[in-house]
Amino acid sequence: MRRIWAVAITTVRQALRMRIAVVFTVLLLVLLPVMAGSMSGDGTHKGRCQTFVSYGLSLTSLLLCLLTIVVSVFTVTSDIRNHQIFTVITKPLRRHEFILGKLLGVLVLDALLLTFFCGGIYGIVRYLPTHYGADPIARQQLNREFFTARASLKPMNPDVTAEARETFEKLRKQDEIPPEVFANELRRRQVMDWIIKQKRLEKRAAGVGERILWEFHNVRPVDPTENLFIRFKYDALPGSKTEMWGRWAVGPYDVFAYGAKPDRPIYDQVLRHSAGNFHEIQIPAVVVPADGHIALGFQNVPPNDTAIVFPLDDGVELLYQADTFGANFVRAAVMIFVRLVFLACLGILASTFVSFPVAIMFCLVIFFVATFSTFVVDSFNYLGDSIGGVYNYTVKPIVRMLPEFDKFNPAQYLVPARLIDLSVLAKAAGRMIGVEAPILLLLAIWIFSRRELARVTV
Amino acid sequence: MQYAVETFSLTKIFNDWWGRSKVFAVEDLHLKIRRNEVFGLLGPNGSGKTTTIKMLLGLLHPTRGRAVVLGGDSTSPKISTRIGFCPEESYLYRFLSARETLDFYGKLFSLPAEVRRMRTESLLDMVGLRAVANRPVGTYSKGMARRIGLAQALINDPDLLILDEPTTGLDPIGTRQIKDLILKLAERGKTILLCSHLLADVEDVCDRIAILYGGKVRAEGKVDELLRRSTGKQINTGPIGDDTLAQIRRLIESEDVECEITSPMDRLEAFFIRTVAEAQQQDQPTSGAVSTTRLGDFLTRSDTTEAVLDRLVDASVDNVPDTTEPATEPVAPAASPPPKADQDFLKRLTQAAKPVETTPVAPVQPAEPTPPDEIDIHILDRLARGDEAPEPPQPRPEKNDA
Repeated sequence: MRRIWAVAITTVRQALRMRIAVVFTVLLLVLLPVMAGSMSGDGTHKGRCQTFVSYGLSLTSLLLCLLTIVVSVFTVTSDIRNHQIFTVITKPLRRHEFILGKLLGVLVLDALLLTFFCGGIYGIVRYLPTHYGADPIARQQLNREFFTARASLKPMNPDVTAEARETFEKLRKQDEIPPEVFANELRRRQVMDWIIKQKRLEKRAAGVGERILWEFHNVRPVDPTENLFIRFKYDALPGSKTEMWGRWAVGPYDVFAYGAKPDRPIYDQVLRHSAGNFHEIQIPAVVVPADGHIALGFQNVPPNDTAIVFPLDDGVELLYQADTFGANFVRAAVMIFVRLVFLACLGILASTFVSFPVAIMFCLVIFFVATFSTFVVDSFNYLGDSIGGVYNYTVKPIVRMLPEFDKFNPAQYLVPARLIDLSVLAKAAGRMIGVEAPILLLLAIWIFSRRELARVTV
Repeated sequence: MQYAVETFSLTKIFNDWWGRSKVFAVEDLHLKIRRNEVFGLLGPNGSGKTTTIKMLLGLLHPTRGRAVVLGGDSTSPKISTRIGFCPEESYLYRFLSARETLDFYGKLFSLPAEVRRMRTESLLDMVGLRAVANRPVGTYSKGMARRIGLAQALINDPDLLILDEPTTGLDPIGTRQIKDLILKLAERGKTILLCSHLLADVEDVCDRIAILYGGKVRAEGKVDELLRRSTGKQINTGPIGDDTLAQIRRLIESEDVECEITSPMDRLEAFFIRTVAEAQQQDQPTSGAVSTTRLGDFLTRSDTTEAVLDRLVDASVDNVPDTTEPATEPVAPAASPPPKADQDFLKRLTQAAKPVETTPVAPVQPAEPTPPDEIDIHILDRLARGDEAPEPPQPRPEKNDA
């Protein structure tokens, strides 16, 4: 371990003294205060804080990812190219110890810089309301809606496959589906997907006088004297009124579904909100029963004159405080660190078998594909439909193996003050650190242990 | 006897990008370097010297054959702990200072902090870089970097020291210092593989040499034997009168051979060292390396236990010849310590007005082998050091200068 640590410390010194890390550090030291002073978001204190945290964390994450790739590739390839490896590896240092030392060095550097800059962002965002003279009401709102960590629960989409199939058959019998569409599996599936989506939307639509009931499990607010939040957005038909009325009710599920006698207060309010925008309704957490099983009801009430539809993805969700902003911020930093671990292993692997420029290119391609993984996977899936089996057994497994950085973006949790649940963190870490990074590392050690370090090609 | 380095049909063929064999860098090399031997590997550029060293150290994989270093595989930490390697250029981290560099390599040998510190300071003194020890190595001149490169090879007090062109880029004092160091280490029982094309350096320190050309050994043997010319004789004297000179000339010419008489020249190396030493005595400032003739304490010092053991072993060496082939031809034991005796002898030869009678050196008759179980230096070494000690050094016979 002492030898691994010696290599690690030298790697950190190399990154700092060769000014690789310094360039990135200075860039962040300049940009973060500039961003804090210039970004105002939607003009509110909350908007300013949200914008700064979003851009600050994203920028820090991006630069540290690039730094990790550059340092991890440089530190190994330069040792090989400049032959320092001759005097190092001929000492009682096994080759896997050299690789582990390099990796540890990169990770120590990452941890130091990440701690420093995340600490800086945290400090700045905490100071922003004071700097801009936020009044007590604004501060209260900030504490309620931003400086907190709220768990998010979304209602499950009901299973409408049977109904969709029935509708499909009905349409086919009525010759409303052309034979060429029916004969083509791809187009048949597209029609089916469209019907399923329509059926789900129907379940989220309420005509005037109609109501929708959603069910939520495991609602566990940290403090029962605090509030829950319903974050929602609904759409109305084009040309209808922009402001719509709705009756909102929240309470134990048994009360709503089976008419049980309530043992606690029920929230029941008629409120007016604009269509097409996100809104939050504050509800006392006291309505939540001990088992955390609650129902959320919505009724489309007059004087509305049109149906209201809640979009499938983000139409409605239930938020409640589950942790503090600080703890959530630490988890956000850990989420960034997880991807840095993956990239460090990737960089080390690439540097064991190709030269610096090729290794950098290789890593950057993987990094950008992982950053836009959803788009890439969807694109390949779409293309893959036309080449079937070949795609399934070649490209698809490779694409699936790539990490999904965009699905584990910490800013998308901190901006709406959503809790980064440990399960989310475990999912990110489990895949990237638990599976992918060790595979890359083992591969790197395997290649490095077998290669000729003084190889000459004539 | 176990060899310090032994190769068996060692062959290295370099391929082109398509994997086709292109260059036979080393071909069918059978090398045997005994323990406690200073072995010179000579050859012109591209003759396969460095390739051989890289194969010995596991930096290149042999195409055929194999190499055994200190009885095992040099890539094994157990073996590499006992090896010091100074490559043909000082491949050091430019961003580390000299002190950090030595400390780093010390850590790779898992040396305790106090030992690292002591050895680092001792080596910095030895290579004359203590004054600039906190400067990054990247700012050093080639010679200064070379000195640190050599120091890192010594941080572990190695049993086998592999030096690839160690004097390249060094000033004459540094070169002299390295040669002294090599001789001193050899006295302590270390094995040194010296790879160079500076023939004068090799000639001064090596017991045996091998000359490589085209990846093959073209000549191998003891330096004295390879260089001795049996077709002529050389007489060195102190100052003598013209009459005596004329008599000698007549006497020699009576044998019907040519005779050339010249005054001896001082070697430029000695003159240079003297000049710089005078400048240092006048405290002339320098921003470079301070030339010293000091050697690292830990490299020259024997600890108490080892000294006792050395005496015990020395005492038995005179009477107990090795049953296997020694590094150099055995000679009769001298009354005084061997190196000093040689110098005195040379002094008498150059200063005395009269020729000095020399006693012919008689080879030692092999005696009956003595059972080696009288003193198990392995066990005693381990007990004394508290760790696993390397093979004990073989007694080093003095160099026959006669």
